[in-house]
Amino acid sequence: MKISYNWLKNYLPIQNSVEEVSELLTSVGLEVEDVQALETVEGGLRNVVIGEVLTCEKHPDADKLNVTTVNVAGEAPLQIVCGAPNVAAGQKVVVALEGAELLPLGATEKFKIKKAKIRGVESRGMICSEKELGLRDVHEGILVLPSETVAGTSAADFFKIENDYLIEIGLTPNRSDAFSHIGVARDLKAVLNVRKNLNLKLQLPEITTWQTANTKRNIAIEVQNTEACPRYSGISISGVQVKPSPDWLKNKLKIIGVQSINNLVDATNFVLHEFGQPLHVFDADKITGNKVIVRNALANEKFVTLDGTERTLKGYELMICNEAEPMCIAGVFGGAKSGITESTTNIFIESAYFSPTSIRKTSFGHNLRTDAAMHYEKGCNANITIAALKRAVSLVLELAGGEVSSEIQDVYSTKKEKAIVEIEFAYIRKLSGFEIEHNTIVKILNELEIEVLEQTATGLKLAIPTFKTEVTRAADVMEEILRIFGYNNFELPTKINSSISLANEKDETKFEQTLANLLTGLGYNEITTNSVSQSAFEQDETLRQQQVKLLNSQTSELDSLRTSMLYGMLESVAHNQNRKAFDLAFFEFGKTYHKTENGYKEHKHLALLLSGNKMSPNWISTADKVNFYHLKQAITSVLSKLGIAQTIFAESADTALQNAFVVTKNNKEIIVGGEVANTVKSIFSVKGDVFYACFDFKALLNEFSQNKVIYKALPKYPSVKRDLALVVEKNIAFGTIETLAKKEAKSLLTEISLFDVYEGEKVEQGKKSYAVSFVFQNSEKTLTDEEVEKMMNRLVATFEREIGASVRK
Amino acid sequence: MSFEKANEILKEIEAAHPENADALEQFRIKYLGTKGVIKDLFGAMKNIAAEQRKDYGQLMNTLKVAAEQKHDTLKAQFSASSQSTKEKIDITAPAYTLNLGTRHPVSIIRHKMIEIFSRIGFTVAEGPEIEDDWHNFTALNTPEDHPARDMQDTFFLDEEKQRMLRSQTSTVQIRVMETQKPPIRIICPGRVYRNETISARAHCTFHQVEGLYIDTDVSFADLKQTMLYFAQEMFGKNVVVRFRPSFFPFTEPSAEMDISCFVCEGKGCPVCKQSGWVEIGGCGMVDPAVLENCKVDAEKYTGFAFGMGIERITMLKYRINDLRLFFENDVRFLKQFESAS
Repeated sequence: MKISYNWLKNYLPIQNSVEEVSELLTSVGLEVEDVQALETVEGGLRNVVIGEVLTCEKHPDADKLNVTTVNVAGEAPLQIVCGAPNVAAGQKVVVALEGAELLPLGATEKFKIKKAKIRGVESRGMICSEKELGLRDVHEGILVLPSETVAGTSAADFFKIENDYLIEIGLTPNRSDAFSHIGVARDLKAVLNVRKNLNLKLQLPEITTWQTANTKRNIAIEVQNTEACPRYSGISISGVQVKPSPDWLKNKLKIIGVQSINNLVDATNFVLHEFGQPLHVFDADKITGNKVIVRNALANEKFVTLDGTERTLKGYELMICNEAEPMCIAGVFGGAKSGITESTTNIFIESAYFSPTSIRKTSFGHNLRTDAAMHYEKGCNANITIAALKRAVSLVLELAGGEVSSEIQDVYSTKKEKAIVEIEFAYIRKLSGFEIEHNTIVKILNELEIEVLEQTATGLKLAIPTFKTEVTRAADVMEEILRIFGYNNFELPTKINSSISLANEKDETKFEQTLANLLTGLGYNEITTNSVSQSAFEQDETLRQQQVKLLNSQTSELDSLRTSMLYGMLESVAHNQNRKAFDLAFFEFGKTYHKTENGYKEHKHLALLLSGNKMSPNWISTADKVNFYHLKQAITSVLSKLGIAQTIFAESADTALQNAFVVTKNNKEIIVGGEVANTVKSIFSVKGDVFYACFDFKALLNEFSQNKVIYKALPKYPSVKRDLALVVEKNIAFGTIETLAKKEAKSLLTEISLFDVYEGEKVEQGKKSYAVSFVFQNSEKTLTDEEVEKMMNRLVATFEREIGASVRK
Repeated sequence: MSFEKANEILKEIEAAHPENADALEQFRIKYLGTKGVIKDLFGAMKNIAAEQRKDYGQLMNTLKVAAEQKHDTLKAQFSASSQSTKEKIDITAPAYTLNLGTRHPVSIIRHKMIEIFSRIGFTVAEGPEIEDDWHNFTALNTPEDHPARDMQDTFFLDEEKQRMLRSQTSTVQIRVMETQKPPIRIICPGRVYRNETISARAHCTFHQVEGLYIDTDVSFADLKQTMLYFAQEMFGKNVVVRFRPSFFPFTEPSAEMDISCFVCEGKGCPVCKQSGWVEIGGCGMVDPAVLENCKVDAEKYTGFAFGMGIERITMLKYRINDLRLFFENDVRFLKQFESAS
């Protein structure tokens, strides 16, 4: 909302600086977002003065130029070269001195007056036209002023240039009461009177300076939809003259960014910004049947608005019609036919109250975000229509002449009554947490025009003025009291008010922190990728079916929620590779989103990604290109950290991954991963090998929260280690040997490890050799050599039987 | 006989000059070993006449001490010199490379915020990101056609606008109040979405922390005290908090929270855009309509709620000036937070 500082002062006699006013307004909830010093003429005509042309002679070298001397009441007359044909000695003219900055009408950039030589003759200023001064668009040469004008007078004084400030307020939706200059003045008055203990009064404009002359243009009003239009008031004026507005009005509107149209439209805009009541002026001669009908549009009804656009109406729009056709989209936008033109002489002024929801729907439905619509949407005051109308009439009579040719017509179906609110002092004390004197409370309410109907020792009964549409309950009154009293005007308690709140058994925060500490220690960087992603990334048909699509996304690059953590991570890989960073180890906590028959599902994950070298090489470290087992190292570290034992990596299939694997626990997939397929990498132009794993966060959390560490006595008896070289078919995985061994040796086997894998000339073609070491231990006694030997024989026999292994000697 | 031998050996010991560690070890074995000379001489004690045994004992002791002293002295010498002869290394050359990972700055701040509020008894609650109209709008006192719905651009999932991505973590307030009885003292960190074009100042995805305290006697002053506590813990003890009246559909009264600029201490600088104040979030007393929507007795209970953007706090804390950096995951950016806390 744009507020003019000078205009504000029309209603409140204040001396405070604009900075002070801004601070106070912000402190009562009218947040001042910006203050701009403005002049009605750009540059404020500084360094521009009135001068008297003393001499005027032809330029020696140019036919169309004159050389003048001008008295500007300075030390000496100035020599100025002037190209205007109408310049003559003896004239009083406007002179822009050296250093003046002018913005001629139509120009986009200011120009600065400098001392110059024009065709060899020195010129120390410029004699200006109205257009050059930025005053009026006329082409009649330089502006010649009346002879009694005094040379040396500043042009700013002469033209009554106003220095003003534009105060930009970010009005919140609950403050329709302050959506006008008077509304802002009311809050400013309240805060000054309460906090600075002043006794300022609002100076409201005189509104009934006129009388009805005749009733020859009575317009009947019929409201068919009283829900959308609870009140419709209007009046006719005949014999008006449409013409440009006077400077004072133009300037007022210009400061707040409203373009001057003509005296009638400007008058209604003035009232809108003064009272916050939108008005509309119709050409009364175009109101067929001399009747205004307020009804809903017909479905598919065509209507041409003021901007010349034909719009097809849907039927929910409220329309202001005459007996023949619609004239205006109520409260939103006028029609092309019914509006005033230069030839209009008889007018009908509308001052109505429309329901915010109806206006909002129409305004958004047709994307017509007009000033009037904004006001109606926030909620106007149904009880101000007549006052605003009267004010408009007096302005129109003053600016456009004419006579009032009807009584005020007013259809007010359900009178909007003041809300009655009861509030207890104890409630105020409890909700605020500090004491405000009862007198102060009452004073604040009075200042805001909230009427105290009753006051008892315990509380107040209040009548809320209808302009405060959002104040209907004690909590709302509480806000009114507090914001005027001051949100920063009380002592804070020194003790804390708290309640017992037990922590969750499954503490996700702690869990996440545990994992993050581990992974950062392992060299992984945490990343955060956007969960809004591009649906085309997803390669898996099943997941594509489950994509959650965003209906109103602005771009196809962000049109759905991710179904996999992989794609966002690859985008980050590409971003870094493009910046020459190739050694990447990432982890991310995040969700994937799925639309299923049972509704929307969100799954939280921990994802890992590796690419490039594990370590950057230097004189002592060698480059170590990442492979699957680096990824597996991190995975097993995570599992160990969470106390998840006995997991097996099983082969699996995945459209996006090669050598895909899955780890299950209690029949639930807790990790999937593998090497990212080339087809996927190419989508993101990612280079090199990329390894990826994705953990089911909740499953891990469950395991972690069940993990209880209980001390086991240290082994009293020594362990025994035995190595074995097993030759097996190439396709036999180590995991098979491990499983067989654990099954056979049970708890006696405390450790099994693979220390070499060999394929080559020393073993048969198609086979490979695993060098495996076994550690045995019995917690009850020392194992004898015979017992260990026996166990090894059993293991060898198992391997021979189950996987056709032979022992390499 | 034994006296003579013992004196001879004493001279031998005194004269001995083992030249290196090996020779010294030979010396030790010869004289001090379990089968060494001195042990032998001790063994000869029984052959000594009783009246001479005391003298002999003293001589033995002298012998032993002399051998031990020589051994220990030389050993210390040799071990010192053996170190100095070790090949000299360049201690300034770089170590084996070990890449340390880092947490994402937004995670660091999110965790810090949780820690700060945990200290005064808040626990963490979370909720879904795909929400329905009730939890994202209606229950939060933003009925259909309410102008407040324009304050945020929401991503909708269906034509009826019944399902959407949550535009604020306040949804979690509703979910918790619907399922738990007061007292409720929670913070809700989470991801939220707005349909905005991505720029340095706006993103379609970001994170908030919401706080909610509901009990029988929770006041506006408590709210402000809590916010001051948070601001000082996060930004430093000299920070002060300023509340400005504002509007949120789900709180009444509502306030925007500013903190005095922790960079310039209120004097004016680029961080606070010369104003001396920095906005950090919104808050207010829970609107009675919201309590009633969640079947919480608004006559009996009052409460406060607050919400802050985690990226916003992170940007202030580390003076990051472009939101897009958070989702680009440039390692040169991430690395800067290796030591951040």
